[in-house]
Amino acid sequence: MKIAKLTAGAAVAALALSACAPGSSQDKPATKPGGTVQTGVPEGNVELDLIATPESGAAMKEIIPAFEAKYPNVKVKYVDTSYEDYNKSLNLALASDTSPDIALLNVVGTSVKDGLVLNLQPYAEAYGWESAYPTGQLNQWRVAADGTTLGSGDLYAAPASFSQVGLYYNKAKLAKLGVEAPTTFEELEASLAKAKEAGETPLQLGNKEGHAAFPIQLIGQSTDGPASYAKWAFGEKGSSFDTAGNQKGAQALLDWGTKGYYSKDANGIDLQGAVDKFVNGDGVFFVDGSWDSKKIGDGLKADAGFMPFPGAKATAIGTSVAYAISARSENQQAAAAFLDFLRTPEAAKASFAQGFMPSDASTVTAEPGTLSADLVAAWNKVNADDGLIGFNNNATATMNDTLVAETQKLIGGKQDPAGFIKAVQDDWTKTHG
Amino acid sequence: MADTAIRPARPVAQPTGRARKPRRRTARLVPLFYTLPALLFYVAFVIAPWLHSLWISFWNWNGIGTATWAGLDNYRTVFTDPALRSSIGHAFGFIVFYSVIPICFGLVLAALVAAIPWKAMPFIRTVLFLPQILPLVAVGGVWKLFFSDDGPFNDILTAVGLGDWSRAWLGDFTWAYPAVGIVGTWVSTGLCFLLLLSGIGKIDPALYEAARVEGCGRVREFWYVTVPGLRREIAVAATVTVIAALASFDVVYVMTAGGPGESTMVPGVAIYRLTFTAGQVGTACALATVLSVLTCAVMYGLNRLTREKP
Repeated sequence: MKIAKLTAGAAVAALALSACAPGSSQDKPATKPGGTVQTGVPEGNVELDLIATPESGAAMKEIIPAFEAKYPNVKVKYVDTSYEDYNKSLNLALASDTSPDIALLNVVGTSVKDGLVLNLQPYAEAYGWESAYPTGQLNQWRVAADGTTLGSGDLYAAPASFSQVGLYYNKAKLAKLGVEAPTTFEELEASLAKAKEAGETPLQLGNKEGHAAFPIQLIGQSTDGPASYAKWAFGEKGSSFDTAGNQKGAQALLDWGTKGYYSKDANGIDLQGAVDKFVNGDGVFFVDGSWDSKKIGDGLKADAGFMPFPGAKATAIGTSVAYAISARSENQQAAAAFLDFLRTPEAAKASFAQGFMPSDASTVTAEPGTLSADLVAAWNKVNADDGLIGFNNNATATMNDTLVAETQKLIGGKQDPAGFIKAVQDDWTKTHG
Repeated sequence: MADTAIRPARPVAQPTGRARKPRRRTARLVPLFYTLPALLFYVAFVIAPWLHSLWISFWNWNGIGTATWAGLDNYRTVFTDPALRSSIGHAFGFIVFYSVIPICFGLVLAALVAAIPWKAMPFIRTVLFLPQILPLVAVGGVWKLFFSDDGPFNDILTAVGLGDWSRAWLGDFTWAYPAVGIVGTWVSTGLCFLLLLSGIGKIDPALYEAARVEGCGRVREFWYVTVPGLRREIAVAATVTVIAALASFDVVYVMTAGGPGESTMVPGVAIYRLTFTAGQVGTACALATVLSVLTCAVMYGLNRLTREKP
């Protein structure tokens, strides 16, 4: 009985300790920008902590020394963590007392709502970023006053470089089939059919991590048009996933599976597995991002080709490798100078060497006939049509998990296109109303 | 286990006068002081976090920002969301793979090994117990390769002429769940075997002799002497493995992360995901609370079932 009493006492004590709303004791630094800001770096020694992921931060090995050479009184300390772990720990790191100064921001998520990142609008105006970047490239990092709707409002991250998802193809196999690179959706379907007849794997696809969402989005946005399609990914009130384009995309994915255009094992193959298969000659077409271009280019050499997804307008799924400044940073001015440095030609070249596109493609040169040249050509076409749209996977915090599960069900025959679209829209509605 | 804490019968205190009462009380408290260090740790690292998590389960909280009161909403989500509800079902299904099959295997193996004096005994024991000492993340990684579309399992099938059956097992809606479950069997069998083997050594040999005199064969000896004699060991094996089944996380997370669809989702992975990617810490805590209550209920039932009759 004593034990029971003692336990009860401890329970009451523990409850009393925690008897406040979780998280409410957090002291939040003010996010309001303090009037005017200064450009350049301040006097005296400054140390900046920078965190990123190995893939996105690869170019930092060259960018940081260049920055330090320009500003000898600033030292930048770079730490990277694997993609999965990074996204899970970023908000906790930004909220901690040992917050980094600059952090790679893969998604806005709740970082703005919770006051974790600095409002960069004053710096954007001071440095003239708004006229230096095309509007579409900055919009992904603009957050409205509600903290969740993207695409308009103040700027919270500065882009360093961009990724684009498009259509890789095997030039040798296409030549053997006797077809040109497709420019319309109908031509693409005709080429897929022809490849199937010839005994090839028409489309390499790995969907263990949900990458079938890429072809659905690409068909969707090139059918609906980029301007209206982007609203959904930004979380604009009243948008719906139930569009003609998405219906067409989901149906096409299902039909391609029935016709055997991609492996029946797609749900059990991860992205890197699919890249390896494509490089080894299994697959005529392959939908993937520019981040794998180095591996594919090294593997297929002159046979590797890349183009925007066939459609009326050149569109791509893409986002920028963007960096934000922690609201807790004590070196905000120097951090902003570093962000500004990211758009210099030397930073752009370092990023391009790692497979990331610069904001302005004229700052880099690629050898004609190589995969790099295809990537630049596609990038220019997409920008000319203002066709760069963010990943649907980033529309809500849970959207990636939802798209993984629902595309797997669609491919596995457990879900029809209408059910797929409804499940995706239900997830969106929970966050964006 | 619940019945390990044995409270000795205490004579009812006789009120024999006011002066002696305080001393008696102190005397009664003395044993408690001995448990104090352990109790403090238990309260600080088990009871308090559990209560804290219970408390959070009544809030809408993303882990960073300000929380808003949710009442029972999170619990409603746990029981109405089809993905979360099915994850609890999957965890209970794992009991077959983690407990039932390994205990059956373990019983047969232990009986066989005990009946025949093997020379290679230490070797057999080591091999069977090996899975238990490997980190589960590594185990999951190796099995993931084994079941992959160009992995050894498909090679074996092709070699024996069953090439039509080969597939990416972990991407198949029908086969992913048993494929993940079988890893649990592989891990648990060694533990059950060792526990049961040590139990067999304690069974009175006279019982076997008596059975033989009565004309029992090996099979009936197994059923009527070995199995009942191992009641306590079976209870221990069942307790440990059932908890492992209900709390499974690492193997599933590494092999399938809950996919394809939600066909291998278990509460452990769902809690992790709700906390770290979805930012729904309240719902995660509600699911964790439901899981811990269910686990306690199962343990209580198991204890009742296997308790020795007085």
